[in-house]
Amino acid sequence: MFERISLVRRQDVPLATRLATFAGGLAVGIGLSALLLWFAGVPGDALVDELFVQVFLSSDGLAQTVTGAAPLILVGLSSAFATRVRFWNIGIEGQLWWGAIAAAAIGIYDIGPPVLRPVLMLLAACLAGAAWIGLPLWLKVRYSISETVLTLLLTNIAFLFVQHLLFGAWKDPATGFPVSPQMQPAEQLAKFGWGNVGLSIVIALAVALLLWLLIDRSRLGIYARAVGLNATTAKATGLPVTMTITMLVLLSGALSGLAGGLAVAATEYRLTQFLGGNYTFSGIVIGFLARTHPLGVVVAAFCVAGMFTAGSSLKVFYSLSDAVVVLIEGIILMSLLAAQFFATYKVALARRSVAA
Amino acid sequence: MTEFLVSWLASTPTFAIPIMIACVGLIVSERAGVLNLGAEGLMAVGAMMAVMVTLRSGHPWAGIIAGVGAGMGLSLLFGLAVVVLRADQILAGLATVAMGAGLSGLIGRDYVHETVPGLDKITVPGLSDLPVVGPILFNQDPLAYFAVGLALAAWWLLMRTRFGLRLRAVGEDPAAADVAGVDVQMMQLGAVLASGAACGLAGAYLSVVASQVWVENMVAGRGWIAIGLVIFARWNPSRAILGALVFGGADALLPRLLATGADVPSYLMMMLPYALTILVLALPALFKVGRGAEPENLGKPYLRQDRR
Repeated sequence: MFERISLVRRQDVPLATRLATFAGGLAVGIGLSALLLWFAGVPGDALVDELFVQVFLSSDGLAQTVTGAAPLILVGLSSAFATRVRFWNIGIEGQLWWGAIAAAAIGIYDIGPPVLRPVLMLLAACLAGAAWIGLPLWLKVRYSISETVLTLLLTNIAFLFVQHLLFGAWKDPATGFPVSPQMQPAEQLAKFGWGNVGLSIVIALAVALLLWLLIDRSRLGIYARAVGLNATTAKATGLPVTMTITMLVLLSGALSGLAGGLAVAATEYRLTQFLGGNYTFSGIVIGFLARTHPLGVVVAAFCVAGMFTAGSSLKVFYSLSDAVVVLIEGIILMSLLAAQFFATYKVALARRSVAA
Repeated sequence: MTEFLVSWLASTPTFAIPIMIACVGLIVSERAGVLNLGAEGLMAVGAMMAVMVTLRSGHPWAGIIAGVGAGMGLSLLFGLAVVVLRADQILAGLATVAMGAGLSGLIGRDYVHETVPGLDKITVPGLSDLPVVGPILFNQDPLAYFAVGLALAAWWLLMRTRFGLRLRAVGEDPAAADVAGVDVQMMQLGAVLASGAACGLAGAYLSVVASQVWVENMVAGRGWIAIGLVIFARWNPSRAILGALVFGGADALLPRLLATGADVPSYLMMMLPYALTILVLALPALFKVGRGAEPENLGKPYLRQDRR
């Protein structure tokens, strides 16, 4: 099959082609998703209203989108930084869970002076997230064991540990529900009085800016680029390859941990079973959309956050499950991956079977 | 104690079979060089579709066949993306997981928590009544026996036939296979479809046979465990039987323990299969065995024009 079609890898992809395939993939993805929602019983005009008007142009909707963007920026950066050194971090949720556990632990056991409590919580969250990616990182760097399945399985273990805590030692004594006790006021980060918007989005944006400077201006950023292009060559030229991979992957874990810490300290004020919701896949999609660029991550995260806002109202009005947002993300990613083919290869019809 | 052991071992196959079937399918796909990370999503659509068709038709077998079809349908999308359009296999696999989870949630929303008729167990006259071995070996559902047969057939097909040799050649050295006249892309597409059918069947087993009900997220990581088991089985279907039984045993332990009234930390016990999989992934590398079993070209798209 396909002998008559010959593919030539493009040496140099023109920007216009790249943009056109990206836009085309996105359009196909959005079109297919809209079609599916329409089949599921959402009328067309409601779709436009929910997806664009409510999400970005109404005060409530925008507030929800901005709040939702903060953890998405962090997990997007997490995925992007690991991807830069070709490490597949599919365990973002696991690192997020440990970040949330660590932050909640600081609050529940009243560790440290109250003034420093929020700072300690976020610091502990970063450390816990970095620690949780430590095992797959070590196995990958030292024994070159594939990290893909490993990171994912560790997520399941982390989530089971959360449940172990919530149905056991950390069950809220006031209500008996499987949620941790609420953080005290000193352990809560400030909100601005506009919906749920608070310090978490400020922190996420600051982190994105900082990481952009790191990856664009620092030596580590240049090393990372070399490792990402070709680790073997980088090693041969004497660059500290292992150190670079270690730094970026630990940073990736810390970022996901921070997302969990912020959920506890800035939005939910407690550990619940619902903090982790599909952040792994969203992070990977955002990192991919942004081509691992930190500032691109911010833009992509806002778009995905908007989708989540729309999703939550579709859920209420048309009894669709959370799975719909995941489905749309999946379709869009798949369309973009397929469309990339036309940017990577030049398709030509061969006169005869040339290459055989 | 014997009673506990017997009931535990007798319930093990129910947990082992879905992992075994999925694992065998994934081995076929990986032997042809395609890393199919979409197993979790393929199992999800299989499970949902099987329940939907069983409820509508009243026949569990019709549902099971529909589950297989659903797995193949979604894997065709994945296969076209990675084999024909050379999309990144890891990202496309993750997208398949998302689409499988999403589709099953969207289409199956009206079928949640509805009980379906399952399959009757096969009782071998005389043998089933034997003490100890009777309930363990001779009182299982038909798909359990089928799964073992499937694994052995896949082993024979891959390792002992000309077709299997060609399929493995595609995964090891597609350029050489191409020169030898093997249609690399058709072989890979076929292998992906086979893995989709297997994952769909595994999902259908979970919903229609094992639990006789469908809920969202019921696959619960078993697809990923099956992917891990491929490495434990060293890409050999007959070893997948052993691996799946070990994991099924670990999975079956908790409900059996709870049934005896033992006070166990449930959520920590539920970590066991995942922890085992991680161990299984790490140990061979730590002790430097099993290297070289992995297909050489796993995860890389083949482009004839790139050939050296």
